[in-house]
Amino acid sequence: MALAFLDRDRSIAPAGYSRWLVPPAALAIHLSIGQVYAFSVFKNPLLALHGADGSAWNLKQVGYIFSIAIAFLGISAALFGAWLEKAGPRRAMFYAAICFGLGFVVASFGASSHQLWLIYLGYGVIGGMGLGLGYISPVSTLIKWFPDRPGLATGLAIMGFGGGAMIGGPLANNLMAYFKSAGRPSIPNTMITMGILYFIFMMFGVFTIRVPQDGWKPEGWMPSTKHSALISSHNVAVHEAWKTPQFWLLWVMLFVNVTAGIGILEQAAPMIQDLFKGDVSPVAAVGFVGLLSIFNMAGRFFWASTSDFIGRKGTYFIFFTLGAILYFFLPFTRQDKLNSVPLFVGIAAVVLSMYGGGFATIPAYLKDLFGGFNVSAIHGRLLTAWSMAGIIGPLIVNGILDHYVENKLAKEDAYPLILHIMCGLLVVGFLANLMVRPIAEKFWLKDKNIVVPVGAAH
Amino acid sequence: MAKLDPVKKSSPLLIAAAWIIVIVPTAWGLNYTVKNAMKLFSAPTPAAAAPAK
Repeated sequence: MALAFLDRDRSIAPAGYSRWLVPPAALAIHLSIGQVYAFSVFKNPLLALHGADGSAWNLKQVGYIFSIAIAFLGISAALFGAWLEKAGPRRAMFYAAICFGLGFVVASFGASSHQLWLIYLGYGVIGGMGLGLGYISPVSTLIKWFPDRPGLATGLAIMGFGGGAMIGGPLANNLMAYFKSAGRPSIPNTMITMGILYFIFMMFGVFTIRVPQDGWKPEGWMPSTKHSALISSHNVAVHEAWKTPQFWLLWVMLFVNVTAGIGILEQAAPMIQDLFKGDVSPVAAVGFVGLLSIFNMAGRFFWASTSDFIGRKGTYFIFFTLGAILYFFLPFTRQDKLNSVPLFVGIAAVVLSMYGGGFATIPAYLKDLFGGFNVSAIHGRLLTAWSMAGIIGPLIVNGILDHYVENKLAKEDAYPLILHIMCGLLVVGFLANLMVRPIAEKFWLKDKNIVVPVGAAH
Repeated sequence: MAKLDPVKKSSPLLIAAAWIIVIVPTAWGLNYTVKNAMKLFSAPTPAAAAPAK
């Protein structure tokens, strides 16, 4: 079969293959699909498009494109996670590249013919499936290659997702400017070009990824015999994992961490301008958003790597204690209180680093609790928390802001309420983390139950 | 005594090349973002400072 090279068996690393070739393969995927965070660069150009009858789209209609993409990220990660465990990372990455690239191409037809449903289908549904498949595909492979530093390994890859916006944003802006100056339709051409470029870049990941041979371990590394009770030496299958209270506790933790982060991310630019009226220009507010994206990316690597030393529970303990304190304190930095822009920016940056860290540390937490056997599939199901937070977070933020605006209340007074709600959510996450205990023996995978002979251990 | 085949290790050049492929676009994006972020710390300027569309 023409696609046999994608088989898991064909991607087993030969002896002597360096594990340091695997993170770049994972990064190629995550840096590409992370472009979704920069989708907002298309918003204004899409709003400026007009159909043959002179009709135009509104902000709400265009906003659904991103929401659909994130929803399908969670859905496809949950649906295809178990398949990925059998098919192997190379095949999953290949399909992710096709979906993500094709999504751009279909969306470009939607933009050129002014049919929004085609953009929903292309970038939202097809591209969103590429996001979900791509996001989870390298996770268990990296954990297998780096059993000594699983946090570092997954942090590296998921850092790429945070960094993808830093490439996708300027790339789209530059391409749109180029096509505009060349007198060609800027959005359709930009989308097709990006689809092709991302497909090629993701193919680098497809051809570079390798799974380790069964029983492989780093040279000279011996698994520690002394470790936390939360680090299991047993595996739990995906169909058992989600029956455990631990799965749902982690689901709640991811949900509240993402919802709280969205509380700032969703309104970062207007928030800083509203809280410091006249002190922060619109251009500086854009700079603030850029700074947050850097801390979001760096936090993924920093916190996930740190978790290898202080443990996953300890890391989330910091997120939910320090995070709750900082969210509570953040509104007091505003103009009519402490009036300190640097303090506001500093706190927001630390908070966003923990938002990113929450994403990047969760795969290692799952591996600790459920073992490496089905970690991608379990991670896929856990990502539904992200989709849910992507809906609930903006609902809370926009609902409160709309209420203040509609009732002619001072908009800047809405932010303390929003941030204190987020603080309360983090307290819920703190309690959930506190309740995490080792998985009960009845959920452990017994050897006789292994029904996935090939690919089970990748 | 039979001589064992030496294990062929991945070339350091290949590893470096793989990292360069992902670091170059990241560095380009980071540079762009840092330049943008620096505007937060520069003194507020009139509308003329806005980027050309």
